[in-house]
Order: sequence, then C-alpha cells, then structure tokens
Amino acid sequence: MTSGVKHDFYNWKKKTLSFNMEEDEFFSEKTFQYYCVEFIKHSQQINDGWEWKTSKDCSDGYMCKTHFQIKNGTVGSHPGTSACIQTCLPTEEALELPLDDFEVLETAAASEVIKYEYHVLYSCSYQVPVLYFRASFLDGRPLTLKDIWERVHECYKTRLLQGPWDTITQQEHPILGQPFFVLHPCKTNEFMTPILQNSQKIKRNVNYITSWLSIVGPVVGLNLPLSYANTTFQGERNGD
Amino acid sequence: MAEEPESVLQLPPSTAVGGEGLTEISPETVTPEPPSAAVSPGSEEPTGDTKKKIDILLKAVGDTPIMKTKKWAVERTRTIQGLIDFIKKFLKLVASEQLFIYVNQSFAPSPDQEVGTLYECFGSDGKLVLHYCKSQAWG
Repeated sequence: MTSGVKHDFYNWKKKTLSFNMEEDEFFSEKTFQYYCVEFIKHSQQINDGWEWKTSKDCSDGYMCKTHFQIKNGTVGSHPGTSACIQTCLPTEEALELPLDDFEVLETAAASEVIKYEYHVLYSCSYQVPVLYFRASFLDGRPLTLKDIWERVHECYKTRLLQGPWDTITQQEHPILGQPFFVLHPCKTNEFMTPILQNSQKIKRNVNYITSWLSIVGPVVGLNLPLSYANTTFQGERNGD
Repeated sequence: MAEEPESVLQLPPSTAVGGEGLTEISPETVTPEPPSAAVSPGSEEPTGDTKKKIDILLKAVGDTPIMKTKKWAVERTRTIQGLIDFIKKFLKLVASEQLFIYVNQSFAPSPDQEVGTLYECFGSDGKLVLHYCKSQAWG
C-alpha cells in the first residue's frame, strides 16, 4: 500500500467507526449502546440471559438480566433443629431421619434462594455505565441494604465497610422509577482508563461493557462466564 | 514481548511460611506471607505429566509498579483472589488500593476463579499471561 492509499483508508475508518475509543473523547451513550449490543450477542450465543430493554419513550434503554443465586446453608446440631427439619422434608423422609443425626439433605432444608436482577444503564452525568440491581427472596421479600452488604464478596468487604455509603447505595432506577441498589460510578474512569489506554497501545478495540462488567459484577454476585473474555476485543483493527 | 530469562519462583504454599514447597532459585527474596489456597503440604513441584502447578507471567498495566519477579509457578487451585492478595503484599500496596487481574489484557475473572482453569482457557506456550493493575476503585 502506498502511503496515500493508507491515509485514505485510515480516514475512512475514522469516519465510519464512530464508536472507536481512540477518537472518542468520552464514553457516549451511543458508544454505550453499541457495546451493550455486542455484549448481548455473545450472551445469546452462550444463553447467558442478558436482554436489551428500551424505555417507553424509546429515547434510551438498558441491559438487564435475572439471576437466581442458591446458597446452601448448613444445619447445626442443636436440639431444636430436628423439628425444623422434619417440617421441611416430606413426611416419609422425616420418619427415616434419626433424630440425633444432622447430616441432612442440605439442599432441601437450608437453601437460600435469592433472585437478583441486574440492570446496566448509562449515566449521563458520569458518562460511564452504571450497575443497578435489586434482590429478593423467593417469597417476594426484598433484600435490604444491610442484606446486600452482608452478601458482598469477602475480598471487597474491607473496602466496603470503610465507606459503605460511597459504594453501594439505594436509588431510584432512572427509567423504571423503582428503588434499586447502585454500585457508585464515580471511580469507574479510574479503573477503566488503564485498560483503555493499554488497548490503544496494542491497537485493539476493547468492549468497554464487557471489561467493566467483569470488574464490577463480582462485587455484587454477578460473575461473567469466561467465554466473554474472548469477546472483549471488537472489530479488530488491521495495522495501518 | 520478549521473555526475561528469569528463574521461575514458586508461590509460597498456604500451609507454610516460606517453608516447604518453596524453591527459590533466584537470589530475590519472597515476602513470606501464607496466601489462601489448597496446596498439598510438603510436596515439591512434581515434574511428572500431571503438573500441579502452572506457570504464570505477570505483566503490569498503567502506573502499577512492575514486579521484579514476573514468572511464578502457581498451584492450579489458587484463586484469583489468592493471587491478588499475594501481589498486593509483594508490591506493598496499602489497604485502600485495589488490585485487578486481567486475562486477555481486558477481562477480569471473578475472584473465585482458579488459575488452573484460566490456564486451560487462556494459556499458551506453556504459561498463562496475566496483566495486573492497581487502582483506587472505590472511595
């Protein structure tokens, strides 16, 4: 390729790839939507359950997913427990259970199932994506902020306990108008910038949403399957 | 990306402090902190077919300090969180600093992910390349 042709090609790419992170000074809502769409494409491939929802007036939208988390509790061997177990299990099984043996079917007696809803929205004020979420027990009872804090992954707890109000708060969902928990976006740029700069260095366009969600998700129980890692780079740029 | 001709250091096992299973080949000292991971005590790295350890190459991103020792042999069952704790102590980061680890330079595996699994998925040339980056992620 002569340098003249190369230059034209580069200009054409600059114009058409409007989501190109190198050229954009900021992460726009358009960019946000583009990356969400790409993210969802992979989600559909692996049946990960993410969907795009548009607001009623179709001006904006968000990405969402519902996830059931099952936690097996353990039953301790104190006297009162046998009665509790027997009421939980079908009668036939309860009769077979020795009263002083508490190696119980953990799943039946002591599981805790929580329904999580994760919503990914765009924040105009911070110009970054934001993770909204809510959680409820199967009987419909919503989890409180305290319940949420208790379930934050161990490795983030220290930081969280230092300033819980900075990190997870309760706010009104901008589109649905219902109370949701929010992972505060004020530091998003800080941890995203090195990844983006690095991607520029290696001339690969990273899917902002995939990277970002892989980082913030685990804080609140959302773990992305590893196959997303192969999709973080979008629209491979050929070396000019 | 040229590899440094460094020796491969063993990550300290969880059961001993700088003791069994730790083979230091280079003169550099390792911070003797017991990370949390399942490791069979008293075993030296097996050289058989079923390698219990995998080689990890750590690369710094951004302003993060570069580790003097970049190549490590790590038990397959070590979690990302365990590795993060180790690097934080090695780099002497303060509690308010968060450390992130990435595969493919862009994707953060969840903290409970085992490095053995990551090696199977993303390893090449007999090693797993992980990028790490420090940040004040919250607050």
